[in-house]
Amino acid sequence: MTALLQVEQLEVVYQRAITAVQGISLVVQPNQIVALLGTNGAGKSTTLRAISGFLGLDDARVTEGAVRFKGERIETLSPQDITRRGIVLVPERDKVFPNLTVAENLIANAPRGMTLAERRRLHELVHQYFPKLAELKGREAGYLSGGERQMLAIAGAIVCGPALLLVDELSLGLAPVAVEELTRRLVEIRRELGIAILLVEQSAAVALEIADHGYVLENGRVVLDGDGPRLKSHPDIQEFYLGGSGERRSYRTVKQYRRSRRWYG
Amino acid sequence: MQLYVNIAVLASIYALIACGYVLIYRVSRVLNLAHGELMMLGSYLLLTTASLFTGHPYLAFAAAALLALVVGALVYLFLLRRMTGEMVLAAVLTTVALGILLRGVMVLIWSASQQYPREALGWANPAIALPGGARISTFALLLILSTAAVYLSLFVFLRFSRWGIRMRAAGQNPLLAAQRGISLHGVYALAWGLSTFTGGLAGMLLAMDSGLDGTMVVIGLKAFPAALVGGLDSLVGALLGSLIIAAAEIFLIHHVDPLLSDVVPFLVLIAMLVIRPWGLLGTKEELDRV
Repeated sequence: MTALLQVEQLEVVYQRAITAVQGISLVVQPNQIVALLGTNGAGKSTTLRAISGFLGLDDARVTEGAVRFKGERIETLSPQDITRRGIVLVPERDKVFPNLTVAENLIANAPRGMTLAERRRLHELVHQYFPKLAELKGREAGYLSGGERQMLAIAGAIVCGPALLLVDELSLGLAPVAVEELTRRLVEIRRELGIAILLVEQSAAVALEIADHGYVLENGRVVLDGDGPRLKSHPDIQEFYLGGSGERRSYRTVKQYRRSRRWYG
Repeated sequence: MQLYVNIAVLASIYALIACGYVLIYRVSRVLNLAHGELMMLGSYLLLTTASLFTGHPYLAFAAAALLALVVGALVYLFLLRRMTGEMVLAAVLTTVALGILLRGVMVLIWSASQQYPREALGWANPAIALPGGARISTFALLLILSTAAVYLSLFVFLRFSRWGIRMRAAGQNPLLAAQRGISLHGVYALAWGLSTFTGGLAGMLLAMDSGLDGTMVVIGLKAFPAALVGGLDSLVGALLGSLIIAAAEIFLIHHVDPLLSDVVPFLVLIAMLVIRPWGLLGTKEELDRV
């Protein structure tokens, strides 16, 4: 089976000097939820930007490797072209148009090659998944709560008719109840619409709850990967991301763990 | 009464020109300082289409308006498009250079002498008597009606049409707009086309009313304070700013000195910049620190 998304030995350099991603390889199969985990500066968001074509804005570029979507190389395409091929990003910040109403936020999206009937169907579907958006349709997006904004951002991405949804920091700044609701919706969206999801998260607890497969990044490299349940029970993940033992560790012990994590790369 | 009619006519001229400044700024954050020249180009295009379609004045008018729209879109596609992603200052300087270039080219092609497209089209411009003893020329009345129609159309377009909503979206967050598949170049080209169309329309109606020569560009320049006073990213602001500038100008011309005509708009602008730099209805956050 051809992978939906295949990132091969990707290397990204900022301002021709700082290497943020060093030879990352990952695969997303159709209808799969894949989690990309890691601490701040691990290279998660850079990888997502490389896939969605937004590196140029930060004076960064892909210097090595390839990004293939449905078998075709896309790392040199413009963001609009990548969106139109079926990869849609839900960004970490500035995810809605604040001065447009909720309804206008959904209308503004520009899916290519979609009939009016298909567009209507998608609009109805997002209102089924997020009924609150129907209630708030006349409200300006700038006045929505964090959870409502995240709902609108995901709904806006779905209206574009993606085959792959890239979600950057789903849980950032949200209450656990809102995160639980959103992750439940993502699982439904994957199951019912067949949309694959690449989820970038700092919170491993959130991501591994729903991920079929996960990759752990550190210093721009994949140091660990495996299916969701296996990763969740892995001692390093338990210790570093899920707060396993709960006891405070000394620097020496932590350093030892860091070394052991790198062996997986 | 005549005073108020004059204010309405002048405010309409400024408003029709100012909405072009607002459209481009609101969508792409670029100040188009060639707008006055593009407006004048519209009236010269009418002169050409009038001689091309002799005996078909409506066709000549429609062709000139359509050409203005196309010229605007082409200016973006062949010139300003290359500035996307660069500093806004580079784009603004490009419009300054374009304005100077256009002025020279227009003199080369159509000469600097006074010309009258209305005669070429064979239309009369009779004065219409209004209640209260005031009078207004036919084309001045048409200018007021055109301004009302253009603003109404723009409000409907931006509020209810898919492309209008996309233009607003791109103006608010171009990055997110691109992520959502909106073609930024398409939206910007449309904004430039519409802006040059409205400016060109103002130029054509002005030329029909009072003739055409190189000094028309000054009127385009005087509409710039109207857009700024109202707030550069607000169409309602442009209307309000135009009314304020026109009222101040007409009152001072009438009661103090006619020579103040070219000074008043910029005096009002300076006063507004001191008191409220973002304009009456503009967005405060949009203004970069000076």
